[in-house]
Amino acid sequence: MALLQISEPGKSTMPHEHRLAVGIDLGTTNSLIASVISGAVSILEQGNKERLLPSVVHYSSSNPLVGSEAKNLQIKDPTNTISSVKRLIGKNLSDIDTKFYSLDLKDDDGVIGIQTDQGIKNPVEVSSEILKKLKETAEKSLGNELYGAVITVPAYFDDAQRQATKDSAKLAGINVLRLINEPTAAAVAYGLDQNKEGNFVIFDLGGGTFDVSILNLSKGIFEVQATHGDANLGGDDYDQVVFEWLCKSNKINVTDSKIKQKLFALSREIKEALTDKDSIKINEIVNEKINIQCELSQHEFEEITKELTKKTISSTLHALRDAELSVSQIQGVVMVGGSTRMLCIQNAVKEFFKQPLLNNLNPDEVVALGAAQQANILAGNTNDNLLLLDVIPLSLGIETMGEIVERIIPRNSTLPVSLGQEFTTYKDGQTAMIVHVVQGERDLVKDCRSLAKFTLKGIPPLIAGVAKILVTFQVDADGLLSVSAKELSTGIQSKIEVKPSYGLSDEKIKQMLEDSFNLADEDKESRALSEAKTEALQLCEMVENAIKKDSNLLNKKELNLLQKNLIELRKLLDSSDRDNIERTTKLLNDNSQSFAAKRMDRSIHKALTGKSVGSLEI
Amino acid sequence: MTQNYFEIFNVPMQFKIDLNRLQQSYRIIQAEIHPDKFVSASQIEKNESLKKSTEVNDAYQTLKNPIKRARYLIKINLNSEENNSTLPPSFLIQQMEWEEHLESISEQKSELEKFQLLIDGEYQKNLNSLESVCDKDKNWGIAMEMLNEIQFIDKLNSRIIQQINLVESK
Repeated sequence: MALLQISEPGKSTMPHEHRLAVGIDLGTTNSLIASVISGAVSILEQGNKERLLPSVVHYSSSNPLVGSEAKNLQIKDPTNTISSVKRLIGKNLSDIDTKFYSLDLKDDDGVIGIQTDQGIKNPVEVSSEILKKLKETAEKSLGNELYGAVITVPAYFDDAQRQATKDSAKLAGINVLRLINEPTAAAVAYGLDQNKEGNFVIFDLGGGTFDVSILNLSKGIFEVQATHGDANLGGDDYDQVVFEWLCKSNKINVTDSKIKQKLFALSREIKEALTDKDSIKINEIVNEKINIQCELSQHEFEEITKELTKKTISSTLHALRDAELSVSQIQGVVMVGGSTRMLCIQNAVKEFFKQPLLNNLNPDEVVALGAAQQANILAGNTNDNLLLLDVIPLSLGIETMGEIVERIIPRNSTLPVSLGQEFTTYKDGQTAMIVHVVQGERDLVKDCRSLAKFTLKGIPPLIAGVAKILVTFQVDADGLLSVSAKELSTGIQSKIEVKPSYGLSDEKIKQMLEDSFNLADEDKESRALSEAKTEALQLCEMVENAIKKDSNLLNKKELNLLQKNLIELRKLLDSSDRDNIERTTKLLNDNSQSFAAKRMDRSIHKALTGKSVGSLEI
Repeated sequence: MTQNYFEIFNVPMQFKIDLNRLQQSYRIIQAEIHPDKFVSASQIEKNESLKKSTEVNDAYQTLKNPIKRARYLIKINLNSEENNSTLPPSFLIQQMEWEEHLESISEQKSELEKFQLLIDGEYQKNLNSLESVCDKDKNWGIAMEMLNEIQFIDKLNSRIIQQINLVESK
C-alpha cells in the first residue's frame, strides 16, 4: 500500500505537482544525471543505455556531437574533439600548459578559445553542450519539462570556475537550484544523515580534480568543517606519469598528436588494469616504428606515482588541521571518484586513517546520486529536513598598496557570508576607484588568482581621505561573489562596473543567450511580458499568503498599503502593460520587504522557543 | 529591534558559554532561514533569507571563537571599539624569545610540533584567566590587555601550524 503523505501543520503551502528536479555531476571525464523517482534515487540512462556520458564534444559540420559518439572521433579528429573541458573552464590561457592538449587553444578576450572547424568555442559553450544533452536525456526519460538542477563542482573550484559552470547551465536553459560541492553531494548519497553522527572525511579523487572535505553530521544537518584540495590533480595525472614512463622505458619521443592520444589511452588502460592485478604485460604495436613491449608491476606503479599520492595525503592532513581534528576523531572515511579505485590510493588512505574505508557505492555515481537527492529536497518534493551548511574553499582578498593581499573573507567560512570593508580616496576630488579582488591563501597579489576588478564610479568629489566608501562582499549559498558599494558620508550608492579577470562578462553571457534563443523582436517582447506576469503573480501570492498568516506583524497603515498595492497589481495582471506591471511589482516588492524581514524573525523566534531547552538535545 | 549576537542564539551574555547549546540554536535557526529553504520562493524572501542567514553565520562565527567572542563582549560593554592598551614589557620579552625559537626550529617537524603543543597550552591557560576577568571581575580594560596577548599567541600558533604544513609538503 502506498504511504499517505501528510505535511506538517502550518508548513504546507499550496500542494504542488511533483517537480522534475535532477542532480548533475558535470565531470572532467564523464558526466551523469540522476533523479529521485517515486522516492528512489537512480541514474538516468542515456539513449544508448549508458549510465556515464563521456564529457566529450565533437564539433562537426552539423550539430555538435556529445558523449560516446564524440569520444569515438577523438583519435580520428583530435582538434575538433574537446575532452576534459572542465580543466579549462573559468581559466585563461596562462593558467594551463598547452603542451598537454591536442587542441588548438588561443586567447579569446581573456577566456580560453578553442579553434575548431566550426569557429572558436569557449569552455562555457562546450560545457553547455554537455548539459543540454543531459537535460534532453532527463526530459526524454521522465517525459516532463525539467524544473531545475543541482549541479556539482569540485569543492576547490574558485569563484571564476563556479560562475562559469553556472553560466554554462544558463546557456543550456537549465534553472540552477544550487551549485553544491562534489564531496558534500557524496556525503548525502551515503545517507550519512540517516543514523550516523560525528566527523566524516570525504576523499574525492576524480579524473582531473582532488578534494577532501571534513563534515560534521548531526540529525540531518551536514556542516562542512573544512575543505582542501587541488583543482589540478586527478586520475589524468596518473595517466600522464604512466605515459611518460612508457615513453622513457621504450625510448620513444612523441610529437604527433594522434599517436599521443593513442598512448594516453593505452596509459589509462594500464592504470585501470592495475586496480585488480599485481602486474601487467604490455605488448602493443602503435605503428610500424613504435612497438611497445614492457611490464609494469603494482609496486612499480606505486613508486612512479608516489609524489601524486603524497600530495593527496598532505592535503588531507591540511584539512584535518583546519578543522582542528585529529585522525582518532574521524568516524568514517568515504571514498569518491573513479580514481579512488587505484589500490595505491586506497592503501595510502587506509594507512593514514587506520580504519577501513566506506566505498560500497559506485564511486563514479555517488556524486550524481547525492545531487539528485538534494535537488529533490530543494524543489520541495519531499519533507526530508536535510540541510547542508557548506563553506567557501579559498580566502577572498583585495589588493592593497605594494601588491599585498588583504584578506577579507577567510577560507572555510560557512556560506552565505559577507563582509564590509571601508575604503577612502587617495586624491582630492577623486570620483572613481578600482578594487581588485583576488582569491587564494598567499600574501602577494601575483600568487593569488585575480577574480575581478571593480570600478567604483560616482564617488562624490571630496578632499582626499574624507569620502568613506563601504564595499560589501557577499558570497551566496552557491559560493558566488557579488559586490556592492556605498559612499557613507553622503549615502550615495556607487555604480560598480565589473571586469572579470577570467570568465565571461555579463554582457557576453547575455549576448550568447540571446544568440541561442535567436528570437525575433516581437517574440522577445511577449517573452518579457510573460516573465513580468509570472513574477508579479508569484509576488501577489506570496504577500497574500503572508498577510493571511502574519497580518498581526503589520500596523493598520502598512496593511492598507500592501492591500492597495495588491489590488492594483492583480488588476494589471489581465493587461499587457508590461511597464506598469513591472513598476507596480517593484512597488509591492519594496513595500513588503520589512514585512518579510519581520516574518523571518518570527519564524526564528518560534523555532527557538518552540523547542524547550530539554528537547534542544540534538 | 536589533538583537545582539547573544540574544540571537538565546545564550547568556558572558564569556563562558555552552558551545553545544550555541551550536544547537545555530542549527535550529539555519534550518528555518537558510537560502536552501527558499529556492522556489519569491525574490523578496530569497533576499531576506540570504541577509538573515549571512547575519546568523557571522554571529555564530563570532561567538564560537573565543577571541572574537571576547572582543565582541568587550565592545558591547565598553560601548566602543577603541583599543589603546599596549602589551606589558614582560610579555614583549617572552614574545621575542618565542620568535627566536620558531626561527631556530623552522625546518624540524618534530620540534615544531612540540613547540605548537607548548603554545597551545599557553593559549588555554590565558583563556581561563580571561574568563574570570570577563565573567567575575568584569574589568573590561584588563580584559582588553589580556586579549591582545592571547591574540598574539593565537597568531603565533597558526604560524607554527603553517610552518608544519610547509615542511611537510616539501
